[in-house]
Amino acid sequence: MDKIYNKLIVLAVAGLVVGGWGLVDRLLHGLTPVAFGSVIPWGLWVAFYLLFLGLSAGAFLVTILAYVFGQKQFEAAAPLAAFTVLVALLCEVQFILLDLGTMHRAFYRFFLSPNPASVMFWMMVLFIALLALYLAKTCLLIRGTMVAWAADETRCYRGLYRFLSFGRTVYGPAERESDQRLVKRLSWVSLPVGLLFYWANGVFFAVVPGRPLWNSALTPPLFVVAALLSGGALLAFLMLALRGDDEEGREAGLGLGRVVFHLLVLFLILELTQLFVASASGRPDAAFALERILSSGSGFLFGFMHLCLGGLLPLILLRGGADSPKAVAWACALIVLTFISFRFNFVVADLAVTRLEGLEPFYVHARLSADYVPNLNEWLVSLWVVSSGVLAFALGTRYLPVSGPLNGGQSHV
Amino acid sequence: MARQPAKEDPLIRMQKDLKRAKEKDQKTVRWIMVIDQAKCAGCHACTVACAVENKLPPGVIYRPVTEHEHGQFPNVRRSFQPRPCLQCDNPPCVTVCPVTATYKNAQGVTVIDYDRCIGCRYCLAACPYGARTSDFAEWHAKEVPAVKGVTAGGEWAAAGYEEKPAAEYGEAWKPRSRRDSPVGNARKCHFCLHRLAVGMLPACVTTCVGRATYFGDRNDPQALVRELIGSPRVMRLKEELGTKPAVYYLV
Repeated sequence: MDKIYNKLIVLAVAGLVVGGWGLVDRLLHGLTPVAFGSVIPWGLWVAFYLLFLGLSAGAFLVTILAYVFGQKQFEAAAPLAAFTVLVALLCEVQFILLDLGTMHRAFYRFFLSPNPASVMFWMMVLFIALLALYLAKTCLLIRGTMVAWAADETRCYRGLYRFLSFGRTVYGPAERESDQRLVKRLSWVSLPVGLLFYWANGVFFAVVPGRPLWNSALTPPLFVVAALLSGGALLAFLMLALRGDDEEGREAGLGLGRVVFHLLVLFLILELTQLFVASASGRPDAAFALERILSSGSGFLFGFMHLCLGGLLPLILLRGGADSPKAVAWACALIVLTFISFRFNFVVADLAVTRLEGLEPFYVHARLSADYVPNLNEWLVSLWVVSSGVLAFALGTRYLPVSGPLNGGQSHV
Repeated sequence: MARQPAKEDPLIRMQKDLKRAKEKDQKTVRWIMVIDQAKCAGCHACTVACAVENKLPPGVIYRPVTEHEHGQFPNVRRSFQPRPCLQCDNPPCVTVCPVTATYKNAQGVTVIDYDRCIGCRYCLAACPYGARTSDFAEWHAKEVPAVKGVTAGGEWAAAGYEEKPAAEYGEAWKPRSRRDSPVGNARKCHFCLHRLAVGMLPACVTTCVGRATYFGDRNDPQALVRELIGSPRVMRLKEELGTKPAVYYLV
């Protein structure tokens, strides 16, 4: 485990150093260094935002399974799930802040002049609610161990553990029961909040008029399923990679793998239905968007990366090797790693649809072109943000009791 | 063809219409624009006038003129369609803005409060007409290098034009920098509100060599635009979306 941790730290630090060059460029020169423009106003960063949005849904899935459907084996994954959500939300907010033209205003404008009619405003409200819920949940789930670690004189960073114990120095059955009750209540609250958050992200795209693929009632459910799928796959992979040796962790990972299989089937049905309906409508703009998805570079992303590597192969692995931790871990890793291709195509294809006939030939400027390929700056900034997430995750799993077996008497709820 | 005034130049008539509108209760004024495509020669003078009036940087455009070819040889003709912001009565861009940075003013013009805009570009994605662009802090001239003793270079050229503050929305915006609005913001046509405020017609109207662009108050029965929108040639873009544009085309 130490080897994996060391490698992760080295990778993350290297990513931060290399990506830092792009980040400094972005911070010094605003949005000038990026490749997207006014015709394609959102690019790689929004695709990454959506990817991390989905990855944060893993805890939501575990919550449903453990506390709504009473699947006790998933309780073992709860601390890791809650912590993963925090890291994913951290990456998500970085991507979206860096994508804003006047980033600093986002910190106060949402509060000073909100527009409740805008879906984006509600996304921000739900994001903050989700962040607060999972922060509280993570703290409660690990508090028992924090108290024990704070009292253990052989441990380093006892000050941090004392801080994370939130004033508790004794953690007996009464305290455990009290925390368990709180976790259960928070889990019930996080259900509608999480569902609304992922739904709202779909509605964000669905309400945009005249966008042939987005502007569909299927988009919000597709977003919820996509989020649960990628988040579930990430958690299943992490459980099998970090806790594949103990039976509790393995069972939780394999169980999540079975859920991921069904979610993948449902997701592919929804996605292909959306594409089929757009194609069958005969609308020229829909045909253009589909052509864009299936053309050369994007076609490779969609056909090979998304459908083959992220769809068909995981389906085979999850079906044929449902009881094999290795097969399930590989299948889930493939889903997570290739999901960016779905997010990228979803964002860019519809944006490339010309808004008015004749507009494109008149627009002769890189910012007014529908041809978009992410440039080095966008990739470097993405590398920085992802590396910051990897570093936070590695440090968290190393110094906080989020990935080990439930201990400190925390068998919650 | 739409009915045209016989003797008076449309610009003179529109100027009188504007004066009358300015004397009215401003809450009852509803600015609209009418564009006669049969008269538009595709000279792009309006595009250039708009860019100069608002000191638009590269990649930001308020009033492109699209060109269309119809028919087959030898029966071919071309048509031109200027496309300002359509100042929709039911604008999707206003609904989606999370911080109320864009809204309809009392005269029906969709405006952007540059000091509120966070630059999320949701309005760009939502506008069905592609009428919004984002300011990515680019320069026409400033970054052109100078050859000492031979050319003056971009700094000199920019000092006389690009670095002067634009007068949009009647405010003296700070000289362009990478941190201050409108850089990083969404930008769009605003019917030259700063000119209307001092009794001048929008720049695209006064510079139209074919007198193809008309402007005035829809609620004024005597206004030229009111006459023109009664024409059977009138159409609005993408009416099926229910956006109710305030820009009418005579086709």
